[in-house]
Amino acid sequence: MVTNSPSTHLAHEDSGFLTARGLSRSFDGALVVDDVSFSIGRQEIFGLLGPNGAGKTTTIRMLSTVLAPDAGDVTIGGHSVLREADEVRKIIGVCPQELALYEELSARDNLVFFGRMAGLGRREAKDAAAENLGFVGLLDRASDAVRKFSGGMKRRVNIAVALMSRPQLLFLDEPTVGVDPQSRNHIFETILRLRDEGMTLLYTTHYMEEADRLCDNIGVMDHGRLIALDTPVGLKSAIGDPDEVTLEQVFLNLTGRSLRD
Amino acid sequence: MRLVLRQSLIIAAKDTRVFLKDWFGLGFALLFPLMFVLGFSLALRNIGPGDERLTITVATQEEEGVSHQIIGALAEESIVDLTVMEYGAAVRAVEDGDIGGFVAFPADFTSDLQGGLPTKLEVVAQIGDPETEAAILGFANAVAVASSNTRTAVQAIVQLAGEEALPQDMAAFGRDSDLLRFETEQIGPVEAFNAGDFTVPGYLTMFVFFAAALAAEAITRERANHTMERLMANGTRRESVVVGKYLGSVYRGAMQLAVLWGVGLVAFRIDLGFSPATVIMVSVLMVLTSAAFGVMLAGLVRTTASASSAAVLASLVLAPVGGCWWPLFVTPEWMQTLARITPHGWANSAFNKLMLFGAGGGDVVLEMAALAAFGVGFLVIAFARFRLSPHAS
Repeated sequence: MVTNSPSTHLAHEDSGFLTARGLSRSFDGALVVDDVSFSIGRQEIFGLLGPNGAGKTTTIRMLSTVLAPDAGDVTIGGHSVLREADEVRKIIGVCPQELALYEELSARDNLVFFGRMAGLGRREAKDAAAENLGFVGLLDRASDAVRKFSGGMKRRVNIAVALMSRPQLLFLDEPTVGVDPQSRNHIFETILRLRDEGMTLLYTTHYMEEADRLCDNIGVMDHGRLIALDTPVGLKSAIGDPDEVTLEQVFLNLTGRSLRD
Repeated sequence: MRLVLRQSLIIAAKDTRVFLKDWFGLGFALLFPLMFVLGFSLALRNIGPGDERLTITVATQEEEGVSHQIIGALAEESIVDLTVMEYGAAVRAVEDGDIGGFVAFPADFTSDLQGGLPTKLEVVAQIGDPETEAAILGFANAVAVASSNTRTAVQAIVQLAGEEALPQDMAAFGRDSDLLRFETEQIGPVEAFNAGDFTVPGYLTMFVFFAAALAAEAITRERANHTMERLMANGTRRESVVVGKYLGSVYRGAMQLAVLWGVGLVAFRIDLGFSPATVIMVSVLMVLTSAAFGVMLAGLVRTTASASSAAVLASLVLAPVGGCWWPLFVTPEWMQTLARITPHGWANSAFNKLMLFGAGGGDVVLEMAALAAFGVGFLVIAFARFRLSPHAS
């Protein structure tokens, strides 16, 4: 068993850029997120891992101010999501698991719209749209309607939209679901470049190899609880040689079942 | 407030752009109603094309006398198309269904009239032909009243002259004394009925509401794919989304008004009546009310499927009840009363008054107030129930 304690990690990282304390949330009496605490440092890629239904998306929704927790609080950049949601919204970007786009509009029009809604002027939004479409490798398709794009290209537009508000912290909820290998690699490169440019990222996935490749720290969720929290190497070292062990095996060891069960 | 206004306008502009790129939506909102107007205008083009004069059949059982004078005077005045038949032949014609009925003068009509005795006119009509019966009764009543007045006048003259009975030459009173006279007045030419005068506003009302109600489906889809949550995390206010969605729907409705009224005026030669500005005001109120309904519906339903079903159901039920498919004034009174529970009913009542019956702006204040009340009510519910998240929050 992995012995890393989330609360211990929290104690050490209490001054992180994002700090979540005792987050809980129920829907119709079912506890979906149960007393989750962790923190993320600046310019860190934090992976939230777990199977479907583990509570990752609900956690992200609470962190990104769209869902109020039943208990606990979160501070981002020193602002509470409960009491200073407007301040928090100025420094975060959200890339939801769903393709939250207007398929009839062009990629550029989508980005300009979300940029304008984030407070950018018309000219500013157009410039930022061009920059971000270039960042995800779709500048040459800027004028095409999103409905004509492949699934992977839509995912990249989805990420580009999240960058329009120039966030300090970016939430990426399962950004590679249903994506072809080429687009997946492009998304990985994008994430690493964003980190290198100073952005902090919270990344959820149920693909363990992705988390292993990208994340500085990983929290493993199951049944709404954070059951392990460490670096990828730290998690793997707990059950064997980190060069031999996979995160999939770590999850099996933690829960007694495969991630895909 | 300024932020809400700015965000609302951006959302409305985006929705308009999406609408203009959606060929199916454009066709449904703009072309579909025109097809309905065209179809129903053609189907109803022969309704009331002119002034059809009723033919009245009369018969007299007298060989000669006052009845013949009256019939002759009526035929000469051309008040009605008069057909004179022998009494027995007229009865057989009614029995055979050749005519709906007739008025008959009895054999002792003249003698009773001259003797100051009560007399009568006989009306024979087919059972089940109330329109002809009513027309003949009206005609008979007019003849009776005219005859009675004439007799009263002549009796007064005779009494003043000291005579005890009516003079024998009274038989000539109808034609020569000019005491029995009918007057008719025709005001203006009889114009052909233009079906477009009620099909255009009727289907405009129906499809403005239909398109606005279907906006609820698009709103729930945006909610389901988390676009609205993304906006919320981006700093967008809930009120901005409600107002933005409302304004977007109003913009679309305004486009529908421009196209449908424009085509109506040019292609269907509709007449907006004496107060075109009021017609436009009523249609704008219908757009505002319909837009509010769409946003309210999005707040009341949870899924895209239920939004779609509710929008179609509401639109297809409220349109006929509210008089979009046929003029309300030809429906039974209970249907006219029922129409009052729909915005369509108030809008169509106003359009019919303004475009068919020559009413002015002051005559449709109640209808406009009712439409505004519907709109405000829908908006209040929309603000209370609208949510950005597909999940409970």
